[in-house]
Amino acid sequence: MDQLLQQLINALSLGGIYAMLALGLAIVFSIVGLINFAHGDIMTFGGYGIFLSMVFGFPPIAALCIGLGAAVVMALAMERTAFRVMRGADVISLLITSFAVSEILKVLFQNGISARPVPISFPAAWSGSYQIGGMTIGVAPTASILVTIVSLGCLTFVLRRLAIGMAMRAAAEDFDMLRMLGVRANRVVAAAFAISGLLAGIAAVIWTAQRGSVDPMMGFFPVLKAFIATVLGGLGSLGGAVLGGFVVGTLEVLTQAFLPDALAPYRDAIVLSAVIAVLLVRPDGLLPARSGARS
Amino acid sequence: MKLKSLLLGSAIAALGTAAFAEDEYIIGVMSAQSGYLAPYDGPAYAGFKFCMDEKMANGGLNGSIPVRLIVKDTRSDIAYGVQVVQEMLDDGAQFIVSSADADPTIAAAQITAADMVPTMTFAGTAPVLTQVGPHVFGSYPGDNQQGAVLAGYARDQGFEKAWLLTSPDSAYTLGGPRYFGEVFETLGGEVVGESTFSLNQPDFSAIVTNIQNAETAPDVIVTWAWEPDFPAFIRALRGAGVETQVMGGDVLDTPTVRGLGDVVDGVVHTSGGYPEEGSAYAAFIDRFTEATGTTPDNNYYVNGCDIADMIEQAVAAAGTTDPAAVSAAMAEIEDGEATMSNFTFKGTDRMPLREVVVARITGDGEKEFVLRQMADPETLPKP
Repeated sequence: MDQLLQQLINALSLGGIYAMLALGLAIVFSIVGLINFAHGDIMTFGGYGIFLSMVFGFPPIAALCIGLGAAVVMALAMERTAFRVMRGADVISLLITSFAVSEILKVLFQNGISARPVPISFPAAWSGSYQIGGMTIGVAPTASILVTIVSLGCLTFVLRRLAIGMAMRAAAEDFDMLRMLGVRANRVVAAAFAISGLLAGIAAVIWTAQRGSVDPMMGFFPVLKAFIATVLGGLGSLGGAVLGGFVVGTLEVLTQAFLPDALAPYRDAIVLSAVIAVLLVRPDGLLPARSGARS
Repeated sequence: MKLKSLLLGSAIAALGTAAFAEDEYIIGVMSAQSGYLAPYDGPAYAGFKFCMDEKMANGGLNGSIPVRLIVKDTRSDIAYGVQVVQEMLDDGAQFIVSSADADPTIAAAQITAADMVPTMTFAGTAPVLTQVGPHVFGSYPGDNQQGAVLAGYARDQGFEKAWLLTSPDSAYTLGGPRYFGEVFETLGGEVVGESTFSLNQPDFSAIVTNIQNAETAPDVIVTWAWEPDFPAFIRALRGAGVETQVMGGDVLDTPTVRGLGDVVDGVVHTSGGYPEEGSAYAAFIDRFTEATGTTPDNNYYVNGCDIADMIEQAVAAAGTTDPAAVSAAMAEIEDGEATMSNFTFKGTDRMPLREVVVARITGDGEKEFVLRQMADPETLPKP
């Protein structure tokens, strides 16, 4: 029983990261129809922000804040330089643009910083653990879950209570109507990218705290999983993205933990088969978007 | 008349060029400049070129054979690497130095097999890589040698129960711990469990929880995981409060792993060499640093240099640059001289028998020498 509970905590921790990344993808997709595969590179940039801050002697907390800021700046720069000129283009063109941006950034990371992972050494206490009953629980996964809950709570507040949040939700429903009502499109889209970057930055903070290194491919694999989560949840659906993230994270952890040894090499295939099975029953995802925004 | 003279002159010049080209020894080098192999191919190529340049400054291989390098980026893509090797062969390559992993080397060796062009990996250590044919060579101590020496050390330290962390995604990450386990059990130890992971796996917490709750707790965990998987694993392990001894392969011998701080304090790993004061290895580091401004911080640099020495000695032994003859001569070298350690191909399956170093990482980001030992060829696990 203790082991199952521990694994559920692991699942929540990993699912939370996927949920934040998936939400970042979903926010941008719901407004501008862009599946941003360079989202992982925003996360990577945030990681390098943390690394470079620590190299220059900033204390760990300050380094984390700088990492967050770096991710937001990168997301905004990406929107301004690559995606604004492509606004209104079809989904395929936007997708290819995002792949190009991603490749350019990876090459810049490899040649400008290092092709190999660079270490980030956080204080020892950050990788400590504590006991609850018979369970040993890590500080990092606990922090990861708490940060995820707080982040998603804050985001819900922004989207539901603040004018810019409501404008973003309206844009997700009908962007043209929003513009006709006099809301500045650039401001709404930039806000979407900034929030998306902030979520990627938070994911980068948790990821680097748990993994201890940053490399040019750091964001690629989690964002791939986050993309699967957004499709599973319902492309364009914010709630669906969060739910999809937690489902994918839980499936990954539980198959890792309880699959027999003989089936272990098929773990990813089994997780993806489960996702396909769900989509066969619910082709629009677990919580489909209300608008017609579909790929 | 002028036209005839011009044609004649051009023909003589072309013949001259051809004659010179025939005297050159052409070496094709697969070097990934991006992707997962770049951190290994990059330093290995730098060391190789540095020592090849030194030889060229002294007249070429054995002081008489000029070398021309054809260097091509493989982008860590095996399919593209195969295309690159074919291009290099088309350009006349007589020797191929392949990427620092078994899988791209095996793929390259399929292409070089037809003409028996000797193919040597920069640092691939999976012993299976030489099974492609008699023209394929390793350069670094094989995983079975490293596993055997590490298992002997673990038993000497009193460890009795091992947990293996493997990945079926590569011959290296799967084979190393398994060789360790085989020798560990031969020496009286017990493998009490095994977990598998995928390369670039996002999270290791589920594996750590399984180890924590294992029926029989291990007293040593062994993995050949590399970056970024090893840093993720060790942080998850220590983060969960598991202080069990961790041991690993030579891939842990990097500044990135050493830079992880407290979580890697005490981690023990194998290595191909150790630059003791006054050694040839230490002298290489000094020469390289002075010439390039970069201080070699891992063994791939010096192993690249050693490959240049291996080629030179094989060509000298063959007495010709004919690819098949060089392959045959390389396979017969016994106690050849190199900078990191001497090497023997004779009597092996062309993974060189070389000394294995065991080192321990300290919490301040350094490593300390533990032991240096040659694996017993009679008891080596078979690939």
